[in-house]
Amino acid sequence: MASLPKIPEYKAEWAEGEAGRWGIAIDMDLCTGCQACVAACSMENNVPFVGEHDAGYGRQMAWIRVERLWEGEYPEVKATPFQPVMCQQCGAAPCEAVCPVFATVHSQAEQINLQVYNRCVGTRYCANNCPYVARVFNWADYSNYPEPLANQFNPDVTVRRRGVMEKCTFCIQRIHKATDQAKAEGREVRDGEVQPACAQACPADAIVFGRLDDPESKVSKLSKDKRAIKLLEDLGTQPRVTYLKGGYHGNLG
Amino acid sequence: MTDKLSRRDFLKVVGAGAATAAVLTGCGPASRYVTREPYTKMPEYNYNGQSTYFATTCRECAAGCGLIVRTMQGRAIKTEGNPYHPVNLGKTCARGQATLQGLYNPDRLRNPVRNSRGESYQTGEKDWTEINWDTAIEVVAQALKDPAGVQFLLGPAPDHLFDLVREICKTIGAPAPIRFGALGMFEARVTLGEAARAMFGRPDTLFFDLANADLVISFGANFLETWISPVAYTRGYSKMRKQRTRGILVQLEARLSQTAAKADLWHPIKPGSEGLVAAALGKLYAEQKFGIAPAAFEAVDVAAAAEAAGLQLEALENLTALLLDADRPLVIPGGAALAHEHGLEIAKAILALNALLGNLGKPGGVFHTPVSPLGEEYRRPASLREMAELVERMKAGKIKTLFVHGVNPVFELPQALGFQAALEKVPTLISFATFPDETAMLADYILPDHHGLESWGYQRVTDGTGQAMLSGAQPVVAPFYNTKSTVDVLLAAAGLPFKDEVEYLQNQVAPLVEQTGGFYSAADLPSFWALFQQFGGWWKNDVSLSAPNAAGATEKKLNLKAVEASEQHEEFHLLVYPSPILAEAGANKPWLQEIPDPMTTVMWNSWIEINPHTAEELGLHNDDVVRVVSPFGAVEVSVYKYPAIRPDVVAIPFGQGHTAYGRYAEARGINPADLFGPNFNEAGDLAFADLKVRIEKTGKKRELSRLESKLGVYGEGMEEH
Amino acid sequence: MQRVFELLKKKEIQLLLLIAFMVILSGGAWALYQTQIPPEQPIQFPHDIHVQLQIQCLYCHPGAQRQASAGLPTQQKCWACHGQLRKYWDPAAPVPLEQWPVELQKLAGYVERNEPIPWVPVYIVPDHVHFNHRPHIAAGFACEQCHGDMSKQKVAELQQTINMGWCITCHQQNSVNDPQKRIKLIDCGTCHY
Repeated sequence: MASLPKIPEYKAEWAEGEAGRWGIAIDMDLCTGCQACVAACSMENNVPFVGEHDAGYGRQMAWIRVERLWEGEYPEVKATPFQPVMCQQCGAAPCEAVCPVFATVHSQAEQINLQVYNRCVGTRYCANNCPYVARVFNWADYSNYPEPLANQFNPDVTVRRRGVMEKCTFCIQRIHKATDQAKAEGREVRDGEVQPACAQACPADAIVFGRLDDPESKVSKLSKDKRAIKLLEDLGTQPRVTYLKGGYHGNLG
Repeated sequence: MTDKLSRRDFLKVVGAGAATAAVLTGCGPASRYVTREPYTKMPEYNYNGQSTYFATTCRECAAGCGLIVRTMQGRAIKTEGNPYHPVNLGKTCARGQATLQGLYNPDRLRNPVRNSRGESYQTGEKDWTEINWDTAIEVVAQALKDPAGVQFLLGPAPDHLFDLVREICKTIGAPAPIRFGALGMFEARVTLGEAARAMFGRPDTLFFDLANADLVISFGANFLETWISPVAYTRGYSKMRKQRTRGILVQLEARLSQTAAKADLWHPIKPGSEGLVAAALGKLYAEQKFGIAPAAFEAVDVAAAAEAAGLQLEALENLTALLLDADRPLVIPGGAALAHEHGLEIAKAILALNALLGNLGKPGGVFHTPVSPLGEEYRRPASLREMAELVERMKAGKIKTLFVHGVNPVFELPQALGFQAALEKVPTLISFATFPDETAMLADYILPDHHGLESWGYQRVTDGTGQAMLSGAQPVVAPFYNTKSTVDVLLAAAGLPFKDEVEYLQNQVAPLVEQTGGFYSAADLPSFWALFQQFGGWWKNDVSLSAPNAAGATEKKLNLKAVEASEQHEEFHLLVYPSPILAEAGANKPWLQEIPDPMTTVMWNSWIEINPHTAEELGLHNDDVVRVVSPFGAVEVSVYKYPAIRPDVVAIPFGQGHTAYGRYAEARGINPADLFGPNFNEAGDLAFADLKVRIEKTGKKRELSRLESKLGVYGEGMEEH
Repeated sequence: MQRVFELLKKKEIQLLLLIAFMVILSGGAWALYQTQIPPEQPIQFPHDIHVQLQIQCLYCHPGAQRQASAGLPTQQKCWACHGQLRKYWDPAAPVPLEQWPVELQKLAGYVERNEPIPWVPVYIVPDHVHFNHRPHIAAGFACEQCHGDMSKQKVAELQQTINMGWCITCHQQNSVNDPQKRIKLIDCGTCHY
């Protein structure tokens, strides 16, 4: 009998050396901030809307947001490049360590962070510990839409209830579907065959998804680009999302 | 508290028992009495529990992107781009993604109704009586019997309904149908078309080959937001950046728009100075390259132009250097740049600059888009002056029956045009609206059309692609309500020899079967029709963009007016831009409402953008409600201190401020079109960018919901923490 | 707080609490029981007869082989056979509908009214679980390993308690020799998303 995988004693032990399995590369030079990814993600993953009042409290539920910041003062003012931020699916995720009920666990198979809705009791420790503010909490049963709006729900994704934390899953339902199909056809998943909703919608092709452990895939080539940066990398979180900063011209002004 | 257990408490306890059971069994009992109802007769393409995908055309704006809609068990659950469709190549924008929230909108009109126009007409209250479709068709048929008094007002897309209505109007002798959309108004499309006619002899919209340009100077063209065909131009932008030498984008406009945020260089030039800047650039470029400036640019005083634009002379020289450096430079005119009194001259100046740069008909340059494969010449939507003429005809009582489809004139037209007041002189208003919009609420009859995802059709796509094409639409779900396709209604009412809409469409696309060079070909009409549905349209494989006729383009003298130098300090230029997320018709989709505006991150409301320094001078803070007063109207709206806007300009997005249109849109924000006056440019487009407004304090405060934190921005809000 | 303790000392309050506890407990037990009995079906479909006639499971539930849900046959499929069973429908001597077996009369009724049959699912998982038939069939499992011997059941009955323990036990047993497979089979994200 072959030995079973050793259960790591502390985070850094197993996190070390993992290339990661799935990853995203986002070219910030191409991202136009059009929010198509936000809409696509919400439609695919049954992300509810919360209304003006709750949105003002910062309870907006989107799993991906497009950030921009201001630099300088008029007339030398600049908006920083648009930066879509979703769960970075950290190799060593700060959120996982703090969940008292193991609702936030690391998927060894897909090497992403999971949120197990049925285990979640809503302590919100994970969201507090997430340096990317990638997690959102169901403060109410937002999915109780007036009829017939609920018809749009995607049957492949759980509709979450009040008191449950949620976040980007890299569209794991699409990953499963593609791997399942590939397995049935007796092959590996091809590069580009599976795309999360955000990457599929992106009109500027700024979001690229694929296998990080395949050196030939588009995403692993991009994540080794000289423009590649990772968000808050010095925290040691091993994010699986790579950002390609700036263009080649620098500042013309 | 009594010691006895009341009956109510007892029920509570029993309820708790059931709840416990739910927890113990993992929600088991809750789903126990769900039933699964299989099809009685399975559609042959379907498989129980597996998705079926249908190709259709997006109807959220007139760009005509192709969609693939995922359906499951007869419900549409996700839209994606059609990867073969030449306009969007598999991509979508946020509005296309949210189209399902229109289909499933709880406030859709479900039955044909008659609205008795009594007192309710004034108050906007509903006094609706349901009618049946036979009555409805009879009403339409009666109206068509008086052809001189009939007027059709349609949406901006050149689709099969437009063809049918045009045919009907021609047959019965009614005035030709008018197409209109607010986005066309904000893009000043007619001005661009008229300038193209004046310079190149053809009044088409032009195609700007962003993808192959290495320097793009855009005069406020918001092509990454709503301009003409945003998904196509975003793809072009992406390609431009990915070239071996990365293309440069320069944006010249008073406010840093979402598009300007992507520019390498942004100059906040004064509204109205665009033509002068273009001419000055032309003069500098020509003098340095050829030693002599052509007639078009000769007269311009470069230093004065820089002064008028609020630029340093050095900045113009730098731009000229960039132009001289570039191999494939391109200049794009935006909507707000042309929406001035002398907008046509500005458009000509910009096109002349392109001619001077020698990019007409070359990669990375300006082209005429191909004519649609159904062999029609280009027919543009109405300009605002033509809409004003329509209103005049209404006021004169010449229109007995006004049919409205796919457009919401009560909301989209400037209030000063008086469309709503003129409606009182129109005896019968028949609306084919899918949603209870402002115009439908005032209609005598509402005969709701299917939602775009429930209906058949085709649309000519003349923008955003170089391939001649016809985009096809088909129902992806069966209609949910007692709605009826407007084409079917008109076919029945006009007594045309077609059985239904599909037969009409097949008859229309029949000439395409003969055409060669298509994406597919078929031997006969039925197989062609099947492929037409399968691929979501028909298009030619080859790009057939044609070069504009450049002869003499730079030799015509331009009549550019100087910008007024002196201004009253209290007056601000008002820049109204279509909201990148809501555009003209997105306000009734809750997810679009909740998507933060890309630049301000405001959700669910309207705001006015004011430069922080100006706000300080006026003593205004974020979320303060101000009264914006123009000579034609006034609105009250919350302040957003916008760091990247000229101090003498304020901006309000267009898209909110509905008084009807369903629960998610109603009574939310303000409509800046209320501030516009009936001022037109030479081409007949609304000169909305000339408008000046006053800002008055109200002392009120209304908090805007924003995604970004308000804490610490300009040091505000910190005192409470 | 003091008042509550005093109240708790009273006999009748204790009795009431006991009754309340019993009611909750029995309510829970009743609901649990409800999940474990075959539900009332619109038609008492006899699986056994069909299996004895050697009709393959996948003939009526073909989805099991290629997708998540096994699927229910359309009544068109039912009627494809039943509509021409000579026993009842001999053109020479047709048996009137009233003399058909009761359950077949019901089927005929649904077909006539063109109404879907409202079947009640027997093997159910909660909404937050995504069960997929295909990999199980692909891995070589026979239907009866989970659904029992259908030749001995009339309407489908639950053959096991469907809970996560049951899933995981089987997943573990089937990945004893393959650590890679085990990682996949006991991963939360395999079923919960």
